Amino acid sequence: MLTTLRQLAFRAVTLFGVLLAVLLLLVVSLGATGFSDDLLRAQVNEETRGLRQSLGQTIRDPDQLERTVAERQNELKRFYGLDRPWYTRLPEAVWRVLRLDLGEARSLRTAEGSNSVSDIVLERLPYTMLLLTTSSLITAVVGLLVGVRMATMVGSRLDRAVAYFAAISFAVPAWWLGILLIVIVAFQLDLLPASGMYSTPPPEGRLDRSLDLAHHAILPILTLVPVSVGPYIYTVRTMTVTVAQEDHVQLARAKGLPESQVTRRHILRVAAPPIVTGLILGLAGSLSGSILVETIFNWQGMGRLYFDAVSGAADEGVIVALTFVFTLMYVIARFVLDILYVLLDPRVRLQ
Amino acid sequence: MSATPPSDQARADDTTRPAAVSDSPIAAPATFGDSHLEPVSDDESGSAIRSALRLLVANGSGKAGIALFVVMLGISLYVVVTYPLDFGTARWSNPTVWGDNPKNAPPVWTNWVRSDRAVEHTSLTLDEPSQIRAIPAGEVRIFRVPLTYDADEFPTFLSMTLSGVTFHGRPPAILASLQRPDGTAVRLASVPIRAPRAGETAPYRRFYDAPERVLLSEEQTAAQSLAQIYQQTYPGLAVPTNVTDDLGAALFGRPAEDGSGRIVPLTGEYSLEVQTVVADPTDGIAGVRVVLGGTVFGVMGTDGLGRDLFEGLLYGFPVGLLIAFLAAIFSTVIGASLGILSGYAGGVTDAVIQRLSDIISNVPVLPLLIFLVSVLGRHLWLIILVLVAFSWPGLTILVRSMVLQIRSGQLVEAAKALGASRRRIMLRHIFPQTAPFIVAQMIFFAPGAILAEASLSFLGLGDPSIPTWGQMLEAGFRTGALYVGYWWWVIPPGVLIVVTALAFMLLALAMEPIVDPRLRKTN
Repeated sequence: MLTTLRQLAFRAVTLFGVLLAVLLLLVVSLGATGFSDDLLRAQVNEETRGLRQSLGQTIRDPDQLERTVAERQNELKRFYGLDRPWYTRLPEAVWRVLRLDLGEARSLRTAEGSNSVSDIVLERLPYTMLLLTTSSLITAVVGLLVGVRMATMVGSRLDRAVAYFAAISFAVPAWWLGILLIVIVAFQLDLLPASGMYSTPPPEGRLDRSLDLAHHAILPILTLVPVSVGPYIYTVRTMTVTVAQEDHVQLARAKGLPESQVTRRHILRVAAPPIVTGLILGLAGSLSGSILVETIFNWQGMGRLYFDAVSGAADEGVIVALTFVFTLMYVIARFVLDILYVLLDPRVRLQ
Repeated sequence: MSATPPSDQARADDTTRPAAVSDSPIAAPATFGDSHLEPVSDDESGSAIRSALRLLVANGSGKAGIALFVVMLGISLYVVVTYPLDFGTARWSNPTVWGDNPKNAPPVWTNWVRSDRAVEHTSLTLDEPSQIRAIPAGEVRIFRVPLTYDADEFPTFLSMTLSGVTFHGRPPAILASLQRPDGTAVRLASVPIRAPRAGETAPYRRFYDAPERVLLSEEQTAAQSLAQIYQQTYPGLAVPTNVTDDLGAALFGRPAEDGSGRIVPLTGEYSLEVQTVVADPTDGIAGVRVVLGGTVFGVMGTDGLGRDLFEGLLYGFPVGLLIAFLAAIFSTVIGASLGILSGYAGGVTDAVIQRLSDIISNVPVLPLLIFLVSVLGRHLWLIILVLVAFSWPGLTILVRSMVLQIRSGQLVEAAKALGASRRRIMLRHIFPQTAPFIVAQMIFFAPGAILAEASLSFLGLGDPSIPTWGQMLEAGFRTGALYVGYWWWVIPPGVLIVVTALAFMLLALAMEPIVDPRLRKTN
């Protein structure tokens, strides 16, 4: 038990290292290229211009006005840390982000108009989770059912077909499948809405709104599932086949246990950890994929938010905060995976 | 993706057995005794790779993968030989190159499945006049361009481009007219040539730097002449009051017989004549290009800027393969050498490499890639660099676990006893045994790199000087081509991305017997 805890603690340290490494990379690439300096300078200039206008109404003497403005500009520079080099300024930003103080966005807003990045993230996160958890659940159920079934008919034509399907589904970018579905299902057949999260105008009432949201979520989910389910079926099938060849399974069969019980208790129990790994890795992968899928479906989640922050007028603060949040989510998923591993694998638990 | 269907496994086993692939740490006995001799080790790794190749050819997905691969390599070779080096900036992103193409035109072959015939894009260039006639004041040179028109749609435009006009005294007079199958001739336009400026010396040169493009289907002269012809030639028939509004149609049409006032296509042989009257026999025009704007274009159609999509699609092959190769080779070299080093050296080296690969393999690559490219600039080399930087750890971890086994084997023990250096043991004795596995793993890097670049390009972060399939898709998506049904613009690039990634996946699938899953569990 103690070893297990120590292992988990060690893992946590590694994952924290991942966070630090990503932030370090962010800071160096922002600082060393002068990107950060340029952005801050623009910010200071903009605020100085505003100041000059408002001060110009009270201070009549032009010399005094210039002096006051210059003074305030220097204050602003100190405030933003422009008087110091980036390698002393940016670590403070990292420390702030690490405390989950994500700062403010310049142009992005929540529905209520808040420009706090935390608020924006919290508003968008549920929509991303809705897509990701639903599609992962479907992938898990279909993958397990089909994968275990395929394991019993290894070498058959159907099994071969599934292998090719897995390869194809790995090779198809989710966003391109999304485009095809938009063209065919939304435009040619006119079955489902092509993009967005709600109809315009959104329906009244909680239930109707939820149903409307679900209706709009069908196409993105139909996009996410096929690309993740192929490789997953293949993983499940392969793990099951590998375990099914082991001695304890032969013994269980020799004892005369019914095949369903052999599968459930002796094969899947052992194959569970890697199967769960595949699922969570897939989930973490679709977190990245959601950036593209949400963009094409105009789905107002985290991915779309990231795209908006990067494209157009780049917002440094939001990009750093969101890259951090993405890494954090990824790292948390990995850690949950480690804990699940301990819970699922008796060998690890009893060490 | 691991393990293999037994049908393949069985077949694969026949071919791989002789190779030093199996997880038995001892390789072929021949290598054992005199392993300090270089040729033997070389030969061993060579034969292992050869047998890996034999394995590839032996099964269906391998054959399909190789076939696709050969086709892609062939196309890439063609592109590398025939395309200019600066294709992206000088041609693809240069609007003047595509000015004479129809916009958003579907491919020509759509004519085969359509009920009505579309107009094929025609572009003809004449360098020499078809006829020269001497007149007292000089010479009349006639450039005659035959145009066959037999479609149910009207052309999108008719244009004429003059290049390189030279004259010594009086500027040449240039007149364009269109002979129609109904025997009429439409005066299209006369092109004014600027007279010599004060101080300019003969010979005077015009339209050398920028050829003069005249959009004949929008010329006022043509409209007047055509209105007259319609009245004289088709007196009884109702003519739309504004024939001249859609001159492109009117030039190649006639009033409908049913008196509905519509204009219907007048099919047959047309001839565009460009008449130049020059004062001096040494005066002249270097070339005349006549373009009949089609409603269908080329093999793959055009995009919203009139770019020939076929050209761009072909260019995507070498770029896609380059991304795949560079990413795969560098990731493999880094991953494999760190894996061998980590597994064989042990101690602090091992610990450092393990922690490093542990951290890097947990980084979400796509968000970071998006961030880095948007901050550091949209360069292809940067994209490849980042992909390599974050993709090697998986291989390092796998190779290390293999090396741990090999290290305790007799071959390495014997080499050590003979006094071989660590470097020599790693290069000559450990690497050859892991080589087939490493080669097989290398293929796995390729599709990921291709898909990552495509995703990035699709977000508008592709290298602007190097067009890729992802960028073509992005352009289609951004301009809404998708929503108006320009399928030839968005489907083919996507299909090619999938096929390229799939070619590598098929090879990887065929190589799987080498990537023995049992090796992964021994750590």
